[in-house]
Amino acid sequence: MRVKRTIRVYLSLAILLLLNFSCKKDCDEVQPAFSKAVLLENVADNIILPALNDFESTLSSLESSFFTLQTDPNQESLNAVRANWKASYMQWQMVKIFDFGPIRTNGFKGAVGTYPTDTVRVNSNIINGGYNLSTADNADAIGFSALDFLLYRNDALIDFISNEEYFQYTLDVIQKMKNEFALVKSQWSTYNSTFIAGTGTESTSSFSLLVNEFNRDYELAKNGKLGIPIGAGTLGIQLPEYIEARNSGISLELLQESMRALRIVYMGNNSGSGLGFYDYLVDLEKSSLASTIDANFNQIINTVETFNGSLESEMGSNVSGLNELYNLVQSQVVNIKTDMTSSFGVLITYQDNDGD
Amino acid sequence: MTEIKLSKYLSLFKEVSIAPLIIFRIIFGVLMFLGTIRFISKGWIEQLYIDPDYYFGYLGFEWIRPLEGQLMYLPFLLLLISPLFILLGFLYRVSSITFFICFTYIELLDKSNYLNHYYFVSLIALIMIFLPAHRNFSIDTKIWPKIKTVSTKQWTISLIKLQLAIVYIFAGIAKLNSDWLIHAKPLKIWIQAHHNIPFIGPLMQQEWLAYLFSWTGCCYDLFIVFFLLSNRSRPIAYLFVIVFHLLTWYLFPIGVFPWVMIFSTLIFFSPKFHERILNLLSRSNWKKNVIENIKLSHTRKKIIISLLTLYIAIQIIIPFRHVLYPGNLFWNEEGFRFSWRVMIMHKVGLATFYMVDPKTGRESEINNSKFLTRTQEGQMATQPDMILQYAQILKNYHHGKTFHYGNQKFLIENPEIRAKIYVSVNGRPSQLFVDKKHDLTKLEYNLSHRTWLEPFNK
Repeated sequence: MRVKRTIRVYLSLAILLLLNFSCKKDCDEVQPAFSKAVLLENVADNIILPALNDFESTLSSLESSFFTLQTDPNQESLNAVRANWKASYMQWQMVKIFDFGPIRTNGFKGAVGTYPTDTVRVNSNIINGGYNLSTADNADAIGFSALDFLLYRNDALIDFISNEEYFQYTLDVIQKMKNEFALVKSQWSTYNSTFIAGTGTESTSSFSLLVNEFNRDYELAKNGKLGIPIGAGTLGIQLPEYIEARNSGISLELLQESMRALRIVYMGNNSGSGLGFYDYLVDLEKSSLASTIDANFNQIINTVETFNGSLESEMGSNVSGLNELYNLVQSQVVNIKTDMTSSFGVLITYQDNDGD
Repeated sequence: MTEIKLSKYLSLFKEVSIAPLIIFRIIFGVLMFLGTIRFISKGWIEQLYIDPDYYFGYLGFEWIRPLEGQLMYLPFLLLLISPLFILLGFLYRVSSITFFICFTYIELLDKSNYLNHYYFVSLIALIMIFLPAHRNFSIDTKIWPKIKTVSTKQWTISLIKLQLAIVYIFAGIAKLNSDWLIHAKPLKIWIQAHHNIPFIGPLMQQEWLAYLFSWTGCCYDLFIVFFLLSNRSRPIAYLFVIVFHLLTWYLFPIGVFPWVMIFSTLIFFSPKFHERILNLLSRSNWKKNVIENIKLSHTRKKIIISLLTLYIAIQIIIPFRHVLYPGNLFWNEEGFRFSWRVMIMHKVGLATFYMVDPKTGRESEINNSKFLTRTQEGQMATQPDMILQYAQILKNYHHGKTFHYGNQKFLIENPEIRAKIYVSVNGRPSQLFVDKKHDLTKLEYNLSHRTWLEPFNK
């Protein structure tokens, strides 16, 4: 029978190919196979959950120190509030990467991380009262950025002592963050198993979400923390009013912390022993790309270290240094967004669309 | 006339059972109806045709614009109704014309959404208009009993088979390249991502599996049609069709395409097979082997032969048009679309655009997400024609506008649009695709070879 013969030919061709290729490379070097499941578990257990816990405790400390300021209104108490605010803001640089699951569904990233703050709005809320901090109009009158304004104004201490509405507004902002995060965190304990199980390739799988949000957070940091203020999008005209945490002057520290956090996720943890994107790249025989990305992160972190002043003062005195830093941060985008992501076979998209 | 002789040889005008055409019509109606439901339920109308601020039209078809806001639901409503009418054989011509126009209109709106299987549906819809697929087992034959017939000319069925053959064989030819055959790319990138699926997950990381899939996929595409044509091998070949398309459906996000192919290839089965299905559907007996002999005039035959020849010639020339261009097809994408290059390339790009004010020489980095959706941005970054279209969008946006930055004012006139674009093809390290030295607004968007792309290093 002709058909049977053709099928036999077909099958033997397949088997031949199978034999031919199966031993070409893999047989002599047996590596432990990489697993996205293990990566997600590592990221969930050793990075995300600890970050959420730490963030929760920094928010509690922030609140309790603010109560101390109420009972003991002096500069020292205010300094304690500021220190707790800063610690919490620094911890946020890690948490904000994970803008999926409960953080996404509760709109938490926008609620605490929007900057710059609308100071006019904040002032009018305080004066008029009766505000609802959850409305879209108040999106840039809340969160860390609003606290940067409220805690670091020149007469902040005087207002905390003598202006009850001012105190109440600040407390409301702090408690909104704390309460909303309590909800996020409780939901995360359920979501955690969903997250770990999402090893698929569809755009809604946790692995795709993690890669996508990692990239998005990097680009947000690049543009928001640096590009926009130094005028990258505005014909080189600086926009100091867009500086993150302008009053406290910690914007460069936040940028550095953000890059550190991204690097930790990339490496799988601080020392690099847990599975992260780095290990996945190595498994895909892309060691040189894997190392380049790590080296670039380190170079960015070290370069930020060389700046002595705040971003605002550097924008006055060291424009070329900032431009160099920006180019450095910019040059990393292609590595993570194009080379790394395409190696993983993950599409950069939020849309669940068909390919062909 | 040699044409007529050839047609005799191919039995183009032989009377054959109309049953395969009827089944094909029903299948097409059902699948297109379900496809539209799926499209709507995923919220893609909003996402793809209402939300975007800009659209990437096809060269020569840029005048085709989306309808205002919610009106955009209208063509989709028609895409929901017309397949039902087609399926029932109710006002068939009007319905098939409506379906073709609406579907093709939507596809022409934005090339960001180009998919080979949408192009396939457009072509099949076009063909369906001219087929007598409603002349039995339809409401039309109840209204107009005169049109009822049990036979059709052979060409009406052969044309569908030929269209399927073109899709498969060209998809196979497209795979005859070194990335696919020698490096098993892009399948190696795509299938390893499935290494956590139950049971067979670890296999997905095996290099040999990528080679096996690449080679069998290529052989499948090249030869499956021939096995489907032969009576003896057809049942086993169809099993291959099912397995192959189910596998692609499982592994890749290709929507309804696998189902379209699995059901469309039923056309290769014998008339008896289709008659049996119709008997099951109607619980009545299909009149067997009644062959009507409707003579077509010589002129009509000539017209049909000419049109068929023209259509087939176009279908064969278009996928080969890339040979007219120098350089790498994957890199330059000159003659890439409409050529059945299905799931053949993993191309990712990063495009950073700059608007340069010619008066001051100052430049602004563009935030692409302000202008484009994620899908549009992703597609644009790797496709040269879209890069030029986007440059025009940016130029038109900035031209004549005054921008207030800090305490300074800038009136932008005839801005230069430059871009630094990196692209990675099939897992290679990304390379410079477009250099910042070009003012993209000065480059013509046409079909001639693009010399402004950076050379591709293998």
